[in-house]
Amino acid sequence: MMNREELIVKWLNNDLNDLELEAFKMLEDYDDLIKLDANLKSFKADEYDTSKELESVLKTITQKRQTQTNWFKPFLRVAAILAICFGAYYYTTTLDTTVTTKLAQKTMVELPDNSKVSLNAKSTLVFNKSTWKKHRDVELNGEAFFKVAKGSTFHVNTTSGTVTVYGTEFNIKQRDNYFEVICYEGLVGVKYKSQETKLKAGDSFLIIDGKTIAKEKENRSQPSWLNNESTFKSLPFKEVIAEFERQYNVDIQLLNIDDTQLFTGSFAHSNIDVALKAITLPFDITYSKTNRTILLKRE
Amino acid sequence: MQKHLQDNICEERLFSSIFKKYAKDLHNFLYYKYGELLNPKDKVQEAFIKLWENCAKVSPDKAKSFVFTIANNLMLNETAHQKVILKYQQTKPKTYTNENPEFLMQETEYNNKLQKALSNLTEAQREAFLMNRIEGKRFKEIAEVLNISTKAVEKRIYGALEKLRKDIKEL
Repeated sequence: MMNREELIVKWLNNDLNDLELEAFKMLEDYDDLIKLDANLKSFKADEYDTSKELESVLKTITQKRQTQTNWFKPFLRVAAILAICFGAYYYTTTLDTTVTTKLAQKTMVELPDNSKVSLNAKSTLVFNKSTWKKHRDVELNGEAFFKVAKGSTFHVNTTSGTVTVYGTEFNIKQRDNYFEVICYEGLVGVKYKSQETKLKAGDSFLIIDGKTIAKEKENRSQPSWLNNESTFKSLPFKEVIAEFERQYNVDIQLLNIDDTQLFTGSFAHSNIDVALKAITLPFDITYSKTNRTILLKRE
Repeated sequence: MQKHLQDNICEERLFSSIFKKYAKDLHNFLYYKYGELLNPKDKVQEAFIKLWENCAKVSPDKAKSFVFTIANNLMLNETAHQKVILKYQQTKPKTYTNENPEFLMQETEYNNKLQKALSNLTEAQREAFLMNRIEGKRFKEIAEVLNISTKAVEKRIYGALEKLRKDIKEL
């Protein structure tokens, strides 16, 4: 015979067979159990309508999905466009700015801090707008006159040497085997072959073919080329010729002429015939002109 | 693990069938465990919406325990473990309505005692006991829903019954 607990457990699990059911009914607390069981039924959970609930869940889900795609896809598009724009903007603004002059051309460049640079013919100036606040660095190839606004150290890098300034006016001429810095105002440091030379107003620094050439004090307030004139003081004739070629975009050939003899004088950039006379008369040279080629000849 | 396309809960058909299979059980489980005050229906909805949002991560065989765990946690977030009072239906089957007022009064009294006794059960006892007694679920089915052994279910239910009877006598 089963004991009371076993019978009740079987009853709970709906497992009683006929015989056991009879035994269960014989239990003294049978009535109590049945009463309890009957009354428990009134504690039934709220009706749960599965299909209605499912419908509402699916509705919420589709709404969510829609709102998600509704703003998400256009948002992605906008974000992509913005990213491209920003990338392009960033790329272009951090790019170096390059100013180049051709033969027989001059130009004026204003740097981000209002420093002014005049570029002579066939010269290139490179600077970076975005890093300008941190480093006032420019790269120069050719000849330029600088009017530097006051501020942090200003560097001009050339292939021959570096020029450091603190707010001043100076001219740099860097051509093949020729490197000249003239300080017109303030203080300029020239670093040439890791040796620094300080230039005060009126001082100049000149290297030709690696040799330092001493020069007398400069008394003009700015280089003559700004006034469309090239001036030379005891400089080899080949430098004069080279400058002439740059200013007039011509090709000069020399015949029987020693191009190392020193020349003092100037030529204007406005009239080629007057200019030719200016550089040929002192040496008693004749010239003949065919198109862009000029032949200088000593009789 | 190999996954087939039809095994993805993200597919509405499969999701719906999972819902139909477990939602009611989940609701009743929550109801008996925590009472109706904490909106078991809403918790079921929330749990299934979570399931949908994670449909790619949850395999169908894990779906049941996923929604049960989520719903249970949602409840736990809200309960301060206060006493669970289950409401009971006042309307009686017709056979009883002809009874005399004294009998009706006794019935109400008994139900009140039963209500108190039920809230004195532990959550574990109550959920198993009421699923068995009211929903008519067998031990094995309850064991599956609760992820425990049949023997444990039996112990809980029998323990709950004994405790109820003792409490009702004392009250």
